[in-house]
Amino acid sequence: MNSDQPPGPVEARLDRLRGRALPVNHNARTISALAANPGCPRRALMDAAGVDKQKIAAHIGYPAPFGQSRFAIGRGNAFEARVKENGAAQLLALLREHLDLDVTEVGYTDFNDVAGNPSRELRHVRTRQALTGQDFAPRTLFDHPLLRLRVGGRHAYLEPDLIALRLDGSFHVIEIKSFPVIDGQADAGKVAAAAIQSAVYVRALRDLIAEAGGDPGRVSHETILIAPRDFASQPVAVSVDVRKQLGVLDRQLVRMTKIADLLEPCPATLTFDLDPDRDGTPRRPREELAAALALVPASYAPECLTTCELCFACRAEAAGSTGALGKSVREDLGGIEYTAQALALARGQLPSAEQAEIAVLLLRAAQLREQLLGEVFP
Amino acid sequence: MAETIEALERRIDELRVAVREAVLSGDPALAKTRRAELKRAEQAWEDALAVATVSAVPAPAETVSGQAVPEASPVAGPGEPGSLLPLREQVYEALSLLQVPAAPKLIATVHEAFFGSTFPTTRVTSLKRDEERSFRTAPFARPYYICAALSADYLSPSRGLLAVSTWPMERRVIGSLSPRVDFLTAAIRVADAIERIPTPPVTARRLLQRFAASIPGASGGARDQVKPDVVRQAADAELSVHADADSRMRREAADRARRQLANAEQLFGAKLQPVSDEAGPNAG
Repeated sequence: MNSDQPPGPVEARLDRLRGRALPVNHNARTISALAANPGCPRRALMDAAGVDKQKIAAHIGYPAPFGQSRFAIGRGNAFEARVKENGAAQLLALLREHLDLDVTEVGYTDFNDVAGNPSRELRHVRTRQALTGQDFAPRTLFDHPLLRLRVGGRHAYLEPDLIALRLDGSFHVIEIKSFPVIDGQADAGKVAAAAIQSAVYVRALRDLIAEAGGDPGRVSHETILIAPRDFASQPVAVSVDVRKQLGVLDRQLVRMTKIADLLEPCPATLTFDLDPDRDGTPRRPREELAAALALVPASYAPECLTTCELCFACRAEAAGSTGALGKSVREDLGGIEYTAQALALARGQLPSAEQAEIAVLLLRAAQLREQLLGEVFP
Repeated sequence: MAETIEALERRIDELRVAVREAVLSGDPALAKTRRAELKRAEQAWEDALAVATVSAVPAPAETVSGQAVPEASPVAGPGEPGSLLPLREQVYEALSLLQVPAAPKLIATVHEAFFGSTFPTTRVTSLKRDEERSFRTAPFARPYYICAALSADYLSPSRGLLAVSTWPMERRVIGSLSPRVDFLTAAIRVADAIERIPTPPVTARRLLQRFAASIPGASGGARDQVKPDVVRQAADAELSVHADADSRMRREAADRARRQLANAEQLFGAKLQPVSDEAGPNAG
């Protein structure tokens, strides 16, 4: 991935897109969100440029209530602290069972700061030293190591909850989440989000090991999810295979390095600059910004609502298109782009040659509806 | 009760010094809170004195008979949620029972289990700061300080762990195996302490249970009937696996700390100066 970094002009254009604002840093959440809708050029471009999408959305009148709630964060932190207290005793007991850790494998190292200094560069250097075995302390559990992943030409720092290193040299990414696993079942959406987040860490860790000349295959695709069992705060460990997520993620990361292709159709003067005054209040006319946004095509899907700050703006824009109703609707109505068009066909409008097949189906559906409900299709 | 009054007298003296320091350093907010603490301590002293003169009956029979560990103060009555002792003495009591560096949460739990009172862990953060300030203005003026445990690689304060300044340096440095070793040691101390009490309180048994859950073979089948000697044996067995490697690492780090660090840094840890972002100092 390092060989095809964006050349200078692309960087310059991305900087222009972002305008005067500081680039927004990627984190595991935003990177996994990328993989959630890989086909969206708007998101890919704005993320590559590090545009603050939340501010843009708010300024054009579609603020999205985004980010985790304070209570969720508090609960998550409390559970993590509990699992990790006293030298990660609870966690160790679980991992001994789950990863077959030997009784000698108890080394625990804290990477939350380096000698009281929380600088990210320093923490990353220390993480690299420890993970690639440049110091020889017996280490098994790495608490909050700081990894790095190249996203769209820039480094994003990533902080997994924990990495476990087994005696045989294999690494396991461990993610601690506070949603409950009830009777062996957890919220599928939340598990999926945790899986893709773990995949991001696996990717970053593999890059780190490979850069140091090691075998990236040592990083297992079997990640471990730690979550509260049932309604208590006792933790339980579950294996999560992230091979599929890694595939999606890799594709998306490669795509981000080919950002030049996405930039090409956009006018060279395009920018999302908010023209902030001294207090940071945006002064750019709202319509102008919305027009700039419209120049970059988006591919809205209902899933965007949980992952992207621009979701409401894109949804309003996509209103009337079949894609806005979800992937399955779009596929069922293959070839028809707008709902109005589908309704017209159902009412008996003469179809074009390539729509003949779907038109028959729609007519039939409208008839069935009439028979069932006893009312005429509007 | 006599100990409590004496402890309060010591506490009042210390607070007077603390008020003076705060006033002289021009920190009115700090001075105000310390004055309030002083007033509370003086009131507590008056109350304790009144209780001592009224009750001619001797104090309840001593239940805890610690020899090596200074845990002489009797278990407070169940109807008495807060302790009259100042926070630093409560922390000291709990740490003296555990004999290993511990996090505020464990310290509070141990104090609740064996000394009948607990305290909010948030207060402990300022305690360590106060201790350091006090040491820096008048080194070694107190018999002991609540200080930091040092991480073995950088000799910096280990995040969230507290220790007692009179402990040997070997016990206060934390290598990569030390969290586990200290956890097992703490489990043994808690088991010992429970055996010394004829009817251990529920909180103490629950604490032992929590330790046992994370030590292989310590639960002995029945979850709610954890036996102190089973826990001790299991912890001892695992401890023997790690002990040599851990003490070697700790001895080496302790030597380094004694060689390289000034007195205050030996107690409260060296801080890494943000000079360059090239690399951290050598891990030794």
